[in-house]
Amino acid sequence: MSAARWGDVASYALFALLAAFFLLPFAWLVSLAIRTPAEVYLGAARFIPEAPTLDNFSAVLSDRAFLSYLWNGLKLSAGGGALAIALAIPAAYACSRIPFRGQGAVLVGLLAVQMISPLVILVPLYRWMSTLDLLNLHLSVIAVYGAIGMPLAVWLLKVTFDAIPVELEEAAQIDGASRWLILGRIVLPLARSGLASAFVLTMVMNWSQFLVPFILLERDQDWPISVAIFNFAGSVSASTTQLLAAACLIAVLPAVLVFVALQRMIVTALISGAVKG
Amino acid sequence: MTAAPALRERPPGQGQPWPWLLPAVAVLAVFYAIPVLDVVRLAFSDATLIAPATGLSLDAVRSILGDPALRKVLATTVIFVAVNVVALQLAGLSIALLIVRGERRGLKGMAAFRTLVLAAWVVPGIANGLIWGLLFDEAPYGTLNSLLGSVALGPVAWLSDPKMALVSAVIANLWQGTAFSMIVFYAARRGIPPVLYEVAELDAAGPWRTFRSITLPLMRRAIAVNSVLVSVQTLNTFDSILALTGGGPGRATEVLALFTFNTVFYNLDLAGGAVLALLLFAAGITLTLLIGWIGRDRGTS
Amino acid sequence: MKTPILAALSALATIAALPSPSHAQDLIGRNRVGLPDAPKTLTFRLTSYDLYSSDPATKEAFERLFSEFISERPDWKIETQLQTGNIGQEQARLLQQTQGGRGPDCAMIDSSQLALFKETGVLRPMNAVFSDEDVADLFPFVRDAVTNEDGDVLAWWWFTDLRVLYRDTSLIPDAPQTWAEVEAAALAAAEAGREGILINGGRWEGTAFDWLANFWAQGGRLVDESGAPIFAEGENREKFLAAIRYYDGLVDSGAAPARITSITDYDAFTAAAAASSAAMFVGGNWQYGQLRTTLPTDRFANWEVSELPGPTADQRATGTGGWSIAALSDDPEKAALCGEIAKEIYAGPGNAAQGLLPTSASIYTEYDAYDGPEFELFAEALENGVARPGAAVYPEISNQIQILLGNVLSGTQEPEEALDAAATAVEAAYARQ
Repeated sequence: MSAARWGDVASYALFALLAAFFLLPFAWLVSLAIRTPAEVYLGAARFIPEAPTLDNFSAVLSDRAFLSYLWNGLKLSAGGGALAIALAIPAAYACSRIPFRGQGAVLVGLLAVQMISPLVILVPLYRWMSTLDLLNLHLSVIAVYGAIGMPLAVWLLKVTFDAIPVELEEAAQIDGASRWLILGRIVLPLARSGLASAFVLTMVMNWSQFLVPFILLERDQDWPISVAIFNFAGSVSASTTQLLAAACLIAVLPAVLVFVALQRMIVTALISGAVKG
Repeated sequence: MTAAPALRERPPGQGQPWPWLLPAVAVLAVFYAIPVLDVVRLAFSDATLIAPATGLSLDAVRSILGDPALRKVLATTVIFVAVNVVALQLAGLSIALLIVRGERRGLKGMAAFRTLVLAAWVVPGIANGLIWGLLFDEAPYGTLNSLLGSVALGPVAWLSDPKMALVSAVIANLWQGTAFSMIVFYAARRGIPPVLYEVAELDAAGPWRTFRSITLPLMRRAIAVNSVLVSVQTLNTFDSILALTGGGPGRATEVLALFTFNTVFYNLDLAGGAVLALLLFAAGITLTLLIGWIGRDRGTS
Repeated sequence: MKTPILAALSALATIAALPSPSHAQDLIGRNRVGLPDAPKTLTFRLTSYDLYSSDPATKEAFERLFSEFISERPDWKIETQLQTGNIGQEQARLLQQTQGGRGPDCAMIDSSQLALFKETGVLRPMNAVFSDEDVADLFPFVRDAVTNEDGDVLAWWWFTDLRVLYRDTSLIPDAPQTWAEVEAAALAAAEAGREGILINGGRWEGTAFDWLANFWAQGGRLVDESGAPIFAEGENREKFLAAIRYYDGLVDSGAAPARITSITDYDAFTAAAAASSAAMFVGGNWQYGQLRTTLPTDRFANWEVSELPGPTADQRATGTGGWSIAALSDDPEKAALCGEIAKEIYAGPGNAAQGLLPTSASIYTEYDAYDGPEFELFAEALENGVARPGAAVYPEISNQIQILLGNVLSGTQEPEEALDAAATAVEAAYARQ
């Protein structure tokens, strides 16, 4: 066997080890979630339960509150993602097409903003929202999500815009079209995939946000799943482990599925961003 | 991280950039600049979640900085961040290089493996803490301990021993955070011209030499940038620890971000929380500058 | 504490749920009780554990109680506002709104926050509704908490909960009465291969609250009349240390497993009982019902509750929680209606409908729901009930107790050293209030 073949064997061995680490939590969640209460306390001895059941999922999903937590999560993260993209488009376009002094500073500044934890700004935000009576509104959360997701979106969209040949726009410019019109009619349609991946990425980030909705939404019926799952832990009457596992799976699945389905697109966008950035 | 050189080849843009930047700048001003200023103001006040500030005061600053717990929390934070930054990057780099090698050799299952790592990335922090809480459960029927028990090992005091609890928190963070480093390194590795590796092969350079003289030097910048991103992300992490241990046992896993969260939402101490938030902010900026400086130094040598 | 949390998660379900097909339909709305055009309105902030409960039986019972109540008062409608299970934040918000004149007319207030509300002077007397006999019938600690020096009734604490010792009688037939007996019984069970006793020891409120019973049993006090911390001074200091050493001894001897420093949830006990891995645990009274539904009948029959042991058999205490209803409106008519809600709906019929512990002995005898032997024990234990002090510094005291227990039980700190550190931190927090 050649050295390269030995290398392959070693690679597979490493992959197996790493895959076990990354798979274990998911696999265990599934194992717990399909157990009956009688089998939950048998530990690892019964990895595949003798009497697998979907009851735990139906129990969690039959709770209408849980469905609305999922719905809130979807609404807030999609709304926040859309707002972030909308805010980022003009800025990214300017950074890509209009040379100006301080451009580097703007881009680095955006990156620096990305570094600020929401924890730093949330106390004043809470107070403001409270005085302005904007607490407990989904719109407030979406606005904050928009601000948090915007810097990353600017970076990703700038890369996308850079890749679009400028000649197309020059032709339109000669015809007298304004820059806004060019952006809307020519650039954005061509940047579809970049826009989509930036949107999905910011949305997935929003899906896992805990702090912002936790602070700005005081009523539990407004909560997204990322916050509600915390209350779900230890809040059901009987032995809960199997229900908690099912709830965790349901909370995680939508984001994972979206991400897995679109991962090629997202990874490509991230890679081109990372390479050129 | 500066503007791409390609920009200068573009025709001189007409018009001002500022109208285009306005929405972004306005949003940053409203949601970042002013709140940060407000945090500074709060830090020098006596506000609580229940009672508004009544005047300027240094009490919060003095009491938080004089709190013996702060030293313990900072030490925990330094360990947590340092270990994570090293571990996350080692894991991310190895996985990225393994995948690139696998792809080159046409090994099967690369996409599936990459997807698996990425899937952990999108798990909400709270859910991450809950999931690992189930895995680390030390009851006789707990996951990892019963797995270990089946091969006559353990039990391990995953969360009840103060030192081990911090290790467990790192493991949970590693599970979720590796994907990010992996993507960055994967992209950087793919950005290295293949011709360099062909030359190395002609020179009959071994894999270790190739790694040391081609891969590593050319990825230095990616590593530097990634170090900043990862360390700041880790510094700001608290939701998974909140759900995993609540900061305990004692203060064993209470990092600065969680300490800040607890100060505001458990003790309802706004002024103290603002001081801690500023500390967090300063730590983030310092880390960014420090690692940026280290990265630059190495890059030019 | 726990019972309520259950339903919080389903607040939305109840809100989004279609009106249930009952005669109450017209009178009970999503956020209204009574006819929409009734001339007088009372705003009532309640928890999501009763009228809007996710449990259909509870919800129906309360819909019936509320409809009967409002049918007798056709002039009135009640606008309901729901609060979340995040007690600290909710109560802070309620206080903030009330001080700013935006609060509800009538609200449910967590018993642990009652003193804070009394102190800020936002509560309005409901003397017109409650007679001297009503007040006299309350358990002493409840009576003290709801009245002021002038004898005004400022709130009505309508149900309580408490901590008790659960044991598996197949291993431990007789209830341990003292700390020493607990340790001995737990050690015997540990030798038989079980976890001797489980207690909360992780970083959360339950850890501090459950442990405090051991401090209170000796007559220890956390704060003085003015709300200043005194737990590390004089006699209190010795009592505090004794209670820490009790827990520390349990872990050191192996009577309690070291893993208790990672327990941050009462459910861990239910789980351990279901898995037959533990012989005893310190849990809440509400867990009795949970065990009944979780365990097979024959195994459930082995589990019994007893009063929390003290240093001696005569020194007992148990931490009590629960909810009260208080009037925040200056309008005497509204304050009276608020009191009537507490008296006619919640205290009594509302207790019985949910199996929650009433705050006066007479209600136990009045309702069949309290015929089980466990309720006799609960009522008896309540005589030794102690509520958390409503001092503003309590959250920090609790925080420090959690940290201290984590450190001592995991062997990182000695009791004295841990107590001194906690006292310094609490003093610093108190000095800034």
